[in-house]
Amino acid sequence: MSNSGNDDGRPGMLTDFHPFAKVSVGQILGLVEAIDEVGGVADVATISQEVEMDVDRLGPILDAAEFLGLMTVHEGDVRMTDLSRKLLSANVRERKAILREIIDDIPDFRMITDMARKAGRPLTRKEIIEALSAHVGSHRAADLFKAMVYWGRYVELLRYDSQSEELTLRTPSK
Amino acid sequence: MQVKDVAKSFFENGKEFKVLDLVRFDLSERDFVCVVGPSGSGKSTLLRIIVGLEKPTAGEVLFEGEPIRADNPQVAMVFQSFALFPWLSVEQNVELGLEAKGTPLEERRKIARKFIDAVGLTGFEDAFPRELSGGMKQRVGIARALAIEPLLLCMDEPFSSLDPLTAQNLRDEILQLWTNPDLPPKAVLMVTHAIEEAVYMADRVIVLSSRPGRMIAELEIDLPRPRNRKEPEFYGWVDEIYSLIV
Repeated sequence: MSNSGNDDGRPGMLTDFHPFAKVSVGQILGLVEAIDEVGGVADVATISQEVEMDVDRLGPILDAAEFLGLMTVHEGDVRMTDLSRKLLSANVRERKAILREIIDDIPDFRMITDMARKAGRPLTRKEIIEALSAHVGSHRAADLFKAMVYWGRYVELLRYDSQSEELTLRTPSK
Repeated sequence: MQVKDVAKSFFENGKEFKVLDLVRFDLSERDFVCVVGPSGSGKSTLLRIIVGLEKPTAGEVLFEGEPIRADNPQVAMVFQSFALFPWLSVEQNVELGLEAKGTPLEERRKIARKFIDAVGLTGFEDAFPRELSGGMKQRVGIARALAIEPLLLCMDEPFSSLDPLTAQNLRDEILQLWTNPDLPPKAVLMVTHAIEEAVYMADRVIVLSSRPGRMIAELEIDLPRPRNRKEPEFYGWVDEIYSLIV
């Protein structure tokens, strides 16, 4: 698991963007809903049975949820945090705002948004992958780029044109 | 909408295969109705008849007192397989129904963005379906259906292509949309083979028998919302429907 959360569920020191690489926002929110339905805490085996997903498929989703500060995992027990309760009672727009604050703070993500800000022009996929490769290795850079575009679009901080392969910053809608 | 004694048979080599028989129910404003039944009970065929894509062998479907037509803009459909055009962006896919209605470009864009936002896809307007997760693809399908501002939204197994977690999240978000009185539709008719899903979502469940699909029950699900699938009352309904089908 990637990070140890604070008491309120906000992530502690965020390391990299990797836990998000193969996980969708719907899966993370679905997991939060499923754990809430069983009372807010359950062991991994119970969750796996409840959501009819084997642990291999569930693992990356749990990692990402923990990374975001939505779950804590301790001795096999998965527990909801205050942040995940807040997320559950939020509407679609509020959920995006909550996740935006977290995503924007992740160093790999911040590196790309800083690059775009400094460049003052659209960044190409190639130059971002080069920058990411130097950081996480070339074998992970393409997956990481894809995940950043997905999450960056979701939280409305990035715009990416997959035809011109250009990435720009975006101001979230109110 | 009235479904009046609808029957449907298919014919092969002069032999009749009856898939639906004497299905009869009404749908009114603020109804969220699910049709459940075992595989082969004709659920999807019934939905295709209701939206006018297929003709019944007997009986009829009336929408606001008139026989249903396939080009009725007040009825929209969400498909199991999303049915998106891969070469069109999210925004262009959502605009399709509006284009068919002859809505001017600027108006089209405005309406499309409103519904893209309602389903949580703002940020993905320019993305292509290949760049989306399964849940997001289905959100595009839902936004496209809602954009024509239909009175009736029909959904054919809309969650069955999704993994269980994505499906659960999308069910909840659809129910959240449904409680917003400013958004269409006025009624929802959903076909599913998942009994739990029907009890979770519907105000009323119509149970079909196996082939030919006949109505064996019409049940009012009076559980308060939001529903918890762990409550004994919830399981009481699920068990009752199972016992009707099995």
